[in-house]
Amino acid sequence: MSIKSSILKRSIWVFHLNTGSCNACDIEILDALTPFHDAERFGVKLVVSPRHADAMLLTGPVTAEALPKVINAIEAMPRPRMIIALGSCGCGGGIWHDTYSTIGGVNKLLEILKERGIVVDAVYYVPGCPIRPEALLYAVASIKGIVSKKREMKIYKAE
Amino acid sequence: MSHKPLKLIIIAGSKGRVTVKYPYQEPLITPEFRGEIEIDPAKCIGCGACVKACPPNALELLESEKEVILRYFVGRCIFCWRCIDVCPVNAIKGTRNFELATDKHTDLYTLVVHTRTTCEICGKPFETTRMQRYIAEKSPVTEEYASICPDCRKRLLAETVSARRVGISEHKE
Amino acid sequence: MLNLEETTKYIELASKSGGQAKIEGDTVFITIPPDRLVDVADTIFNKYNTSFRVCAGVDERPLNGHFSLVHLFTDDKAGLYVAVKTYLSGESPVAPSITSVVPAADWCEMEARDLLGIEFTGRETYRLVLPPWWPSNLYPLRKETPYNYRPEPRLESEKLGYSREYGVIPLGPYHPALHEPEYFELYVEGERVVDVKYRGFHVHRGVEKLAESRMSYQQVNFLAERICGICGFVHSTCYALAVEKAAKLDVPERAQFIRSIVLEVERIHSHLLLLGVAFHLLGYDAGFMHIWRIRERVMQLAELLTGSRKTYGINLVGGVRRDVNEEKKQKTLEALRELGREFKNFIEVAISVPQVKKRLTRSGVLPREEAVKLSVEGPVARASGVNKDARRDLPYAAYKYVSFKVPVYTEGDNLARVLVRVDEVFESISIIEQLLDKLPGGSILLTDFEIPEGRVGVQVVEAPRGGDIHYVVTGKGAPYRWRVRAPTYANIPALRVMLRDQPLADAPITIASIDPCFSCTDRVVVVRDGRIEEIKLTQLVK
Repeated sequence: MSIKSSILKRSIWVFHLNTGSCNACDIEILDALTPFHDAERFGVKLVVSPRHADAMLLTGPVTAEALPKVINAIEAMPRPRMIIALGSCGCGGGIWHDTYSTIGGVNKLLEILKERGIVVDAVYYVPGCPIRPEALLYAVASIKGIVSKKREMKIYKAE
Repeated sequence: MSHKPLKLIIIAGSKGRVTVKYPYQEPLITPEFRGEIEIDPAKCIGCGACVKACPPNALELLESEKEVILRYFVGRCIFCWRCIDVCPVNAIKGTRNFELATDKHTDLYTLVVHTRTTCEICGKPFETTRMQRYIAEKSPVTEEYASICPDCRKRLLAETVSARRVGISEHKE
Repeated sequence: MLNLEETTKYIELASKSGGQAKIEGDTVFITIPPDRLVDVADTIFNKYNTSFRVCAGVDERPLNGHFSLVHLFTDDKAGLYVAVKTYLSGESPVAPSITSVVPAADWCEMEARDLLGIEFTGRETYRLVLPPWWPSNLYPLRKETPYNYRPEPRLESEKLGYSREYGVIPLGPYHPALHEPEYFELYVEGERVVDVKYRGFHVHRGVEKLAESRMSYQQVNFLAERICGICGFVHSTCYALAVEKAAKLDVPERAQFIRSIVLEVERIHSHLLLLGVAFHLLGYDAGFMHIWRIRERVMQLAELLTGSRKTYGINLVGGVRRDVNEEKKQKTLEALRELGREFKNFIEVAISVPQVKKRLTRSGVLPREEAVKLSVEGPVARASGVNKDARRDLPYAAYKYVSFKVPVYTEGDNLARVLVRVDEVFESISIIEQLLDKLPGGSILLTDFEIPEGRVGVQVVEAPRGGDIHYVVTGKGAPYRWRVRAPTYANIPALRVMLRDQPLADAPITIASIDPCFSCTDRVVVVRDGRIEEIKLTQLVK
């Protein structure tokens, strides 16, 4: 099912899932709902249960202790499922991408979910440390199709 | 006393609307903000000083037979700008860009590809062409010395020293 | 204030117990044999009225073949740090537990047991930090264990606790009232909470082991800042000050002033954050929105001064990276003036709202004796009548040049904790104005220095939540051992006293009123063996 279908172009309800982050990205998510940035203009709302959510805002490198609970929470979301990985920890594992206590970011989590048969329909990456509230709004606007994405892979040759 | 909470209406009314309607309006950023970095491929010499200084290993040096690739993964970058502090040729520049969201993982990489030179004596590849030129310009060694790999340099030095001890006076650099 | 005549009683105590004492700067290092540990700890904590901060285990087998255990106390009236060290055998280290005389030492002893394998006699032991399925005999902080070895994780979560007499209500790990994953199991009788079980340490990421292996001295600053996103600059400054103290570096004064200014900016932002969250949990959402609107100016001020809204990244060992010029100074003063005026206007309205006032008064009471016994920190201690503030007792950075008041209330309920924080915001604004007035000239970064091996540095910095302590042993190019204890670590065991016999509806606001920062608490992952074991909070506080 394509995420660009018209179902998700209306309002996106998000559930905030903290898998062991330092909380800087989490308070910037709350900051995006306050009067200065006002994410509710786009219809974004924080919900209390994964069962009501369209997208999951994932912060933190997934720690070994929190891993079973994260899998339960993602499994509880109804299809179509979308994960928005926030920050340096979410996109690539962060500054502790190879320690004994973390899994290493959202890509390894997707592998584990695939083995257990849980399908995730789309993944979005938002780099930043911590992300600005405007970066989160840019990601939401990009999902809805208001702006087009700007970052692309670049290969340069030195000679 | 009991009408104090109603004073909130006065406070809210006098403030008015404070929302900045990004992306239709300019966001509130100061000129000091640390955003993405940009590597200038014309200046980079492939020395790896930025790779050593990067705390989350977002900058990595991948080596193969023919090439040395400097890979910047913006997904893991913490935007500390330490790489800008330590680069010897000022090849990295800081921007204020924060609009980096994407849905493809490969969009987050930037690669700078360098070619490697081979040693004059043993033929093994050892450093990038740019770095060789940089060393030859900046330090008081000859072009010939700069084109030999470190293992061969050590071997030559040992041979020269032992030759001098024995008594042969030929001086090779 | 520092008072060197007080050190004589520590030197006498050390020689009477068969050990030795050494004084370096403002720290007294005492080394004693393990069998005298309980008596010495009893004297120092109970007779001399010091605060217990943390205990740290160090694997010194590459250096001298032993493990060692260090207990850190601070004598607030005399302004001294006291470090009590014992050496344990290298093969199977065993130490006596001091929890019978110092109840606050419970968690840190269990952490040393989990991470290093040091056994403790004279107490109940349990697994604290690592997940229950972690293999036994894999101790992450021992020098032979690599930092990136990952055992297979377990993917099923465990079942809920069960009780015949009481109802069981699980709170977490993912709950709309909590921002971080932590698990509370509340045992209720009708509406009253009878007991609490706590299972935390979901945010353990292996910070201390990482600093010893793949990082260098300057990179650890950025690592320390990300221990906690709300009080990150405190950790980064405390680490830099501890290393500078160990290596005896002469940091330029202007850098210390800039560090103090940014520390106070962080304090304002953190207190405003907590007040907003507290109002939201009470149901007063208008208060939440208005306070975070006022707080936004502080975030923009921080971005102007340092380059990023949070996790500032300007600290290095030897100074700071960004300077304050005249234009920034004027903008700062103007922003602070407006902030003070708006906040004063608003907070008078907010505290007098009937639902806020009635729900906060007389709920979650922490009496003064419990506060002293558990060595709680920060506004939680100051709201219960304990007059403790590291900025005044153990002055660091530029705090010896400014004068400020420390607010202390005696009721010990939720309202007192809120009022302490409101007063501290106004004091911080006044401190920043004084510092900007007295800013000296000079450079901001020391570049030419060397850090010798084998030195020890201890430093306490007053974070918005209490006193944060870092203990650094220097090694070659990177720290040999780094122990961090954040203030929430000492405040969580006090929750059992505060939550008992309270109505269930008050549980979230009581938990939030200690301003918990679970990512500071959990930074280390402790691996435990085999069985799942829930710890009762009854076991945490003896």
